[in-house]
Amino acid sequence: MKGDLLVVGLSHRTAPVEVRERLAVTPAEIEVLLRALRSDRITELAMISTCNRVEIYAVSTDGPAALGSLRDHMHERLGVAVLDQGQAYGLDRRLYQRLGREAVHHLFRVSASLDSIVVGEPQILGQVKEALEAAQRAGTVGSTLGYYFSRAFRAARRVRRETAIALQPISVSSVAVDLARTVWEGFSDLRVLIIGAGKMSDLAARSLRAQGATVAVTNRTQARAEELASRLGCEVEPFADLPRALLRADIVITSTGAREPIVGRELVVEVQKLRRGRPLVIIDIAVPRDVEASVEELDGVYLWNIDHLQREAQKNLQDRRQEAERAEVMVDEEVARALAVERGRAVGPTIAALRARLLGLARAEADKLAGKLPDLDDRGRREVQAMTEALVNKILHAPLVTLKDGASSAEGQALIEAVHKLFGLPELEVISNEDAAMEEGE
Amino acid sequence: MDAVTILYLAAYATSTGFFLLRHMGGGQRAAGVGRALLTAGFLLQLGDIGVRCVRLQHPASSTPEAIALIAWLIAGGFLLASLRYRLDAAGAFAVAPVLVLLLLARVVPSESAAAPLGSLGLTHILLATLGVATFALAAAVAVLYLWQERQLRHKHLEQLRGKSTPLDTLDRLAARCVSFGFLVFTLGIVTGALWVARLGLVSGRADVRPEYVLALASWLAFGVLLLARAGAGWRGRRAAWLTLGGFAGALLVVVSYFIRHAA
Repeated sequence: MKGDLLVVGLSHRTAPVEVRERLAVTPAEIEVLLRALRSDRITELAMISTCNRVEIYAVSTDGPAALGSLRDHMHERLGVAVLDQGQAYGLDRRLYQRLGREAVHHLFRVSASLDSIVVGEPQILGQVKEALEAAQRAGTVGSTLGYYFSRAFRAARRVRRETAIALQPISVSSVAVDLARTVWEGFSDLRVLIIGAGKMSDLAARSLRAQGATVAVTNRTQARAEELASRLGCEVEPFADLPRALLRADIVITSTGAREPIVGRELVVEVQKLRRGRPLVIIDIAVPRDVEASVEELDGVYLWNIDHLQREAQKNLQDRRQEAERAEVMVDEEVARALAVERGRAVGPTIAALRARLLGLARAEADKLAGKLPDLDDRGRREVQAMTEALVNKILHAPLVTLKDGASSAEGQALIEAVHKLFGLPELEVISNEDAAMEEGE
Repeated sequence: MDAVTILYLAAYATSTGFFLLRHMGGGQRAAGVGRALLTAGFLLQLGDIGVRCVRLQHPASSTPEAIALIAWLIAGGFLLASLRYRLDAAGAFAVAPVLVLLLLARVVPSESAAAPLGSLGLTHILLATLGVATFALAAAVAVLYLWQERQLRHKHLEQLRGKSTPLDTLDRLAARCVSFGFLVFTLGIVTGALWVARLGLVSGRADVRPEYVLALASWLAFGVLLLARAGAGWRGRRAAWLTLGGFAGALLVVVSYFIRHAA
């Protein structure tokens, strides 16, 4: 075993968007950060940084120390922000940490969208896969992390396939449609502006377009805006002319990766003057937020951010609680299965080493005997060889059954260590990354 | 109180109850029943107005009859608007004032006009009554607008989902009511001024009553609202509050007439 899985992080459950946005990391930064965090103590690392959570998954042989080290890192990152803001974020009570089975369980729940703002939403699985890919590019994925992530994907797929949890969840799209219905009579005269080219915006744009609204896209990178526009069959607005785009829009859905707000209060005040009081609905799903919070106070402007969506989703959760409970049971089963298989994987090299050691001894003794009996022909040699191997197999049968059974229990590691000690076996071989990759491809 | 009056009061009361039920989360059927009862009350009251006209208790004959006409016009205006707009949620705000005004009109014994009104007086009272009724409808819509807008601002989407009237629709409907009411009310004020001037010439004295000032203030508030809407794009919350302000003035005119005649 290379070590235990552990996780340190915060999410929409423990921290408001004001705190989450201070810790958010861009995809480009993740790889650098993972390489920097790797040490003798922390051998494998991956990081999930979405608008709802910032979590570092790691593998370490010294779990408590690794957890402390990762917590310190989180504190350091936010420490600057605390000084900047002059206010305490209470990070200690916002950060959670899990070790061993609890960490595996957490990863599985996250991947299965049971810990999402919008329970059952499909985006999180893609985001967890992207986190694994980023870690692979950074070279911080080993067999343990790769294995648990692949099992988490499998659990997520099972939950989606076997429960109705993903049916009609509250999503950015559904909230956008509901908001539009609350403000306007129909969709045919509405213009939706998508700022940024994220997946959630893509889905929301498709949904509103299906209702009859006109959709326009703008993005700092013109090429990405054009790519999304061609996929959706809609217009592109130049990012440099954002005020004009806002002026024409009725609904704005924004999800850029900008570190600072791109839509400030002053801009919206000016735009609203020119709009002559026409209502403006803004859905800001970016973390850090794209729209200044005080915009919400303006007359005729209805601003929803990611936390507002969360509260809306929690109301909706009540309706699908039964499905979520079924999904939780499935996740528990998958966690137990994954841990059992992992223990089985751990015992494999021990069994191979034990068999090799005893068979080697048996063959050596058979060869020695053959040397002492010059009249023994080839057939006789093969019989002796077969007899010694059969003897070894019979002797090993009961211990191997015990070892295999014990491997899926909590005492598995102790048994393995005892066998290594008793038979003088070499250090455990580390399962190769290729094995983990094969598992992932299941 | 005769049987027909009791019947349409009961119809309006139960209609208000059903619209309130709808407003508090009841199904669409509640609004349907509310609308049917409102239609029944509206038709019964129409018959009652006809009978009263035959008995020379026409709407311009006394303040209570004028108030009853305002109530009937609000009910009719709401039913008419319901044909075009999704106004289930507004029912509670529009029909409750109908009930209150009618109760007010019917509990006070009807008095006869002190002097014959003449065509100018009759025109003035009918125009002013129609104007106030239209403003009342605009105010009911404005109250609903402010309530829904508050729910939306506080992110209580579940309070609105599937049963609210879109804010933009309410805003436009209130604006149309105010535009129409302002035109009618302006004509009412002009005819009223001419009527008062003629009465003054006949009697040799011209009083300036508080109602006149209140009516003028109300007219000014609505005038400012229309100008601000056309010129500066005043909509939404500000427009709703100004509508309520203007209607408060118009309501005080009616109340002061009512008190004067009840005294």
